[in-house]
Amino acid sequence: MDRLAVKYLRPRKTPSTACSGCGLGQVHKKILLAIEQLGLGINDIVWGTGIGCSGRQTFNTWKGDNFAGTHGRVYALATGLRLALPEDKKIILTVGDGDAFGIGLSHLLHCARRNAGITVIVADNFGYQSTGGQYGYTTPQSRVTDSSPYGLTDPNWLQNGLDILNLLRDAGAGFLARHLSFEGQNAVESIKRAIGNKGFSLVHIIYPCVTHFGEISLKTGDREAIFRWFENLFDGRSGDPGTPAFKSGIFHDAVGARPEFSAALKAWTSSLRQKENPRA
Amino acid sequence: MKKLFDTGNAAVTEGAILAGCSLFAGYPITPATEIAENMSRRLPLTGGYYVQAEDETAALHICIGASLGGMKAMTSTSGPGYVLYADPYGWAIGSEIPVVIINAQRVGPVSGITGAPGQGEFYLSRYPTHGGNFETIVLAPGSVQEAFSMTVEAFALAERFRTPVTILADQLVTDGWESFEIPENAEEALSLGLYAPARRVHQGPCFYPASDHIDLPPVVLGRGTGGACSDWTPTEEGYDTEDAAAHMRHAYRLIHKIRRHREIIDRQESYMLEDNPKIVLVSYGSPSRVARSAVKAARERGLSAGCIRLKSLWPFQDQLFRRKAVYMAVELNAEGQLVREIERASHAPAHFFGTCGELPAASALLEAIARLSRGLPPESLRWEREAW
Repeated sequence: MDRLAVKYLRPRKTPSTACSGCGLGQVHKKILLAIEQLGLGINDIVWGTGIGCSGRQTFNTWKGDNFAGTHGRVYALATGLRLALPEDKKIILTVGDGDAFGIGLSHLLHCARRNAGITVIVADNFGYQSTGGQYGYTTPQSRVTDSSPYGLTDPNWLQNGLDILNLLRDAGAGFLARHLSFEGQNAVESIKRAIGNKGFSLVHIIYPCVTHFGEISLKTGDREAIFRWFENLFDGRSGDPGTPAFKSGIFHDAVGARPEFSAALKAWTSSLRQKENPRA
Repeated sequence: MKKLFDTGNAAVTEGAILAGCSLFAGYPITPATEIAENMSRRLPLTGGYYVQAEDETAALHICIGASLGGMKAMTSTSGPGYVLYADPYGWAIGSEIPVVIINAQRVGPVSGITGAPGQGEFYLSRYPTHGGNFETIVLAPGSVQEAFSMTVEAFALAERFRTPVTILADQLVTDGWESFEIPENAEEALSLGLYAPARRVHQGPCFYPASDHIDLPPVVLGRGTGGACSDWTPTEEGYDTEDAAAHMRHAYRLIHKIRRHREIIDRQESYMLEDNPKIVLVSYGSPSRVARSAVKAARERGLSAGCIRLKSLWPFQDQLFRRKAVYMAVELNAEGQLVREIERASHAPAHFFGTCGELPAASALLEAIARLSRGLPPESLRWEREAW
């Protein structure tokens, strides 16, 4: 058993329920590495999840407290929870691309606007893979998926000029980064910076789905070929006109620039009470 | 006691504060906006927080998130927002998280007339979410005073049953101005039976499948208990399971923790039923006040009539309709919702008197009672009484 799994994950949830060869484990492990390197313990973190592969396979894996929200709404749920928790408790959410960039986008943007102290890890597998491989909002154009049998024409959040991280930056997010799941310490460093931020952070991590995206869209079951395709994607070497070139690393770092939502509301409320009732 | 003259909206706010509500998340909507406004004014001064949400779905999610962290939370809305609660409502039922929801009903469907009263969410409040396998608790105030006390009671029920509680009011109750009294201190509140238990923190297990026990602390996160809850069918420890037998046990609890403790939930008020009248009017909320006047007038004319006002709607109080009588539901809708439950509970056809967006006139109800006494149908709807 992996050392980090023994240290941080519930025995009942290991090994993972994800498909064999799934890249989600790489994302999960990077989060645990970041937690370990930050010196955080089981009770320092409340772990929430969304719906879909990324949420379901990570739900209640954390040895401490866990919750799973309804599809796309875990950001609102975590906003309420943020107010109830002490400032030093971290909230980490592991969610998928459909949850964050589709059904939950409005709540996600409002979470960034409020600068709620939440770290969102979007584990992106290029579509709705747990329902059988329908396209999502980051699936490269022209790709065949279960719901785009003739090739995808729908624009996506990763096209030139349409990067979802631009939207999140403009909405007020304090820290944003993008990585590929099989990157090394540089991705762990981004997650550390995200968790360390008192306000809203999001790390977008793309990982290969070998079951549906691999077999339907890349037309191969060869794990190495699938991983290679994703690697080329990030290097801009894919040569596929419908496939955007990604840049990995920190996208936006304004950690500490804006007050955190719950801390600011608590401070304001307390000063208001002082003013209204100085003897209280 | 402190005597106030204000709206049902203000009374709800005072009730929530007395019950220890420390978080309100809401979205402006007529005719419930005033509750949000009042909470934004009152809560910060009592140590609580007001959060304006991006929509009603978020509003109830923020409430249940705060409740999951140990706070008592409330939201308020009207029909168009109540439908958007479906998602978090189900989550709170399944995860057994206490929360209080006010619905100031207006006439619908959809936006309808924003400032006109309606009673269209009778069934929606029984089935506020998808999937079945649960029972709900719904209370219905008939006055400003009751809007106050029922809010406190709703918080108490939510904590004791680990579940969301809806207060199904209507625009006339929430917008209406009346004198009402509120206790000035905790002792006075207790003497009136107005007490909402403080939040306790579960130490595990998270869930109690196949148990109908109440007064169990709900899951509270962030306290080192290793608590877990989700939208999935839970095991005792909160793990997600796909075992149908586990789901059956979960459903048993969600249904029977409520059904087996009816004596704590059931509330009603009857008028002139002592002599087993031939005709019984049944209603809830503001139409009940007209029904009562009509019954009084009917009695003065020697007609055999009485009325029942339901103060709790769900679970439905079937036992009230075992008495053989001619029942007539008086509702603020034109298709008849409550009437169907009365027919089911009494095992007999019942009559219906409905209005849209306005209260019935007492004279029209009296005329309906008179017709029923002569064995004629009540001509309840305006399109039956008048040529349009």
